Amino acid sequence: MPHDELERILRDTLQREVAESAPRLEGLEERILSDLGERRPRLGLVEWLGQLLAPTRGGRVGQFAIVGATAAAFLLIGLFISGDLLDRVSPPQFELAPAVASGAAPMADEDSVSGDQQVLFVVPAPLNAKTVVVVGDFNHWEETALTDDDHDGIWTATIPLAPGRYEYGFLIDGRWWGEDPRADEHVQSFGEYSSVRYVGRGGDGA
Amino acid sequence: MRRRVVASLGLSLATLLIIGLVGMAQIPLAEFEGPLHEIPVANPDRYLRAIDIGLGQPDFPAEELLRLLERLVTHAAPSPEKEAVLLPIVAALEEGLPIEGLVNKAFEGLARRIPLPDVEHGLHQRFVLLGEVRDLLYSKGIFSVAPGAPQSSPSAIPTPRFNQLLINIADAIGDHLEGGGSPFDGHVLFQMVRERLIMLEGVTLPPEDVELVLERLEPSDLTDAALAAVS
Repeated sequence: MPHDELERILRDTLQREVAESAPRLEGLEERILSDLGERRPRLGLVEWLGQLLAPTRGGRVGQFAIVGATAAAFLLIGLFISGDLLDRVSPPQFELAPAVASGAAPMADEDSVSGDQQVLFVVPAPLNAKTVVVVGDFNHWEETALTDDDHDGIWTATIPLAPGRYEYGFLIDGRWWGEDPRADEHVQSFGEYSSVRYVGRGGDGA
Repeated sequence: MRRRVVASLGLSLATLLIIGLVGMAQIPLAEFEGPLHEIPVANPDRYLRAIDIGLGQPDFPAEELLRLLERLVTHAAPSPEKEAVLLPIVAALEEGLPIEGLVNKAFEGLARRIPLPDVEHGLHQRFVLLGEVRDLLYSKGIFSVAPGAPQSSPSAIPTPRFNQLLINIADAIGDHLEGGGSPFDGHVLFQMVRERLIMLEGVTLPPEDVELVLERLEPSDLTDAALAAVS
């Protein structure tokens, strides 16, 4: 028998089989589900919890994960609401000024979630400097390290800060470094100079 | 295996969120007892009472204060010197003054390795200024009202906003004095206060509060407050 003839017979036979079976297959899924529903035994609390903790068939996401995710969603909503409530009793209770980037400083990238701004700190240090850190009232005067990945002596750190006024200073290899020329102002404190940045104002370096 | 990983992720996320919620709660008073006994302070009950007052305020820096106490515990100075640093902060709490600036000033003094008696001196001056500036604002008819309470007049400002004004005015005067400025420089003091408030206008201070203060304060008022701080 030629190959084409065999293929035609097989195709016709298959089409006929499918056409004849179609009415029987219609509604099959609903019938099975209905049948399963009638046969499902009533579960006690322990069995119900067991089933809840068991993964679904076919290796898909476990029901516990779904419960966890639902709980997480509710908690997120709760966090949002409580955060909103806290905002109502905490300063500032007015709309913050929009952040405007300084022309000279590639910073003030506003974080749309927290309202913090990415503030860039830059220190030109001697090439043999080992560590450069910034301390200030934004980190409780604890050290935040600056980095110099390309070893050009320019050390930088970008720190997210909420709008406000911040005093700070730099230490190079443990020694206080003078006044930051990028600061908005300088103040004397305990006989030493501190630099000051105003974050959240236009044209002020943050 | 995969479903276990997904289930674990769901559980972990929920757990983390619960921990986050718990973490949002205010630090309990009992947390302060340990460091106070370790410093040790002469009368821990006085400190705890004062901190308890602070915990009732919406802008109380509980975490920062606890951190300061812990830092003082490990400080090498004698206990009376460590306690002296805390006294202006406790006195401020007892008088209902905001301590945010004082705690920050203490952190700075420790970071700069300033002898603790000098830190105490700086804090005491700021504490006096806070009280003087508060009295000054009261005398100008600018009052604080509890958050959420009805604002009876435009010069009755919710406490957190009032405290921000207070901190910044006192701080500007304090910076002038620490920088060697004279308390008699009323116009210089007024200019410093004005600049500070304007820089924070619309940032952390509402424009109407800044306008109210600048409208009612006089240079001579600031001279009086500065003189009280250095006398």
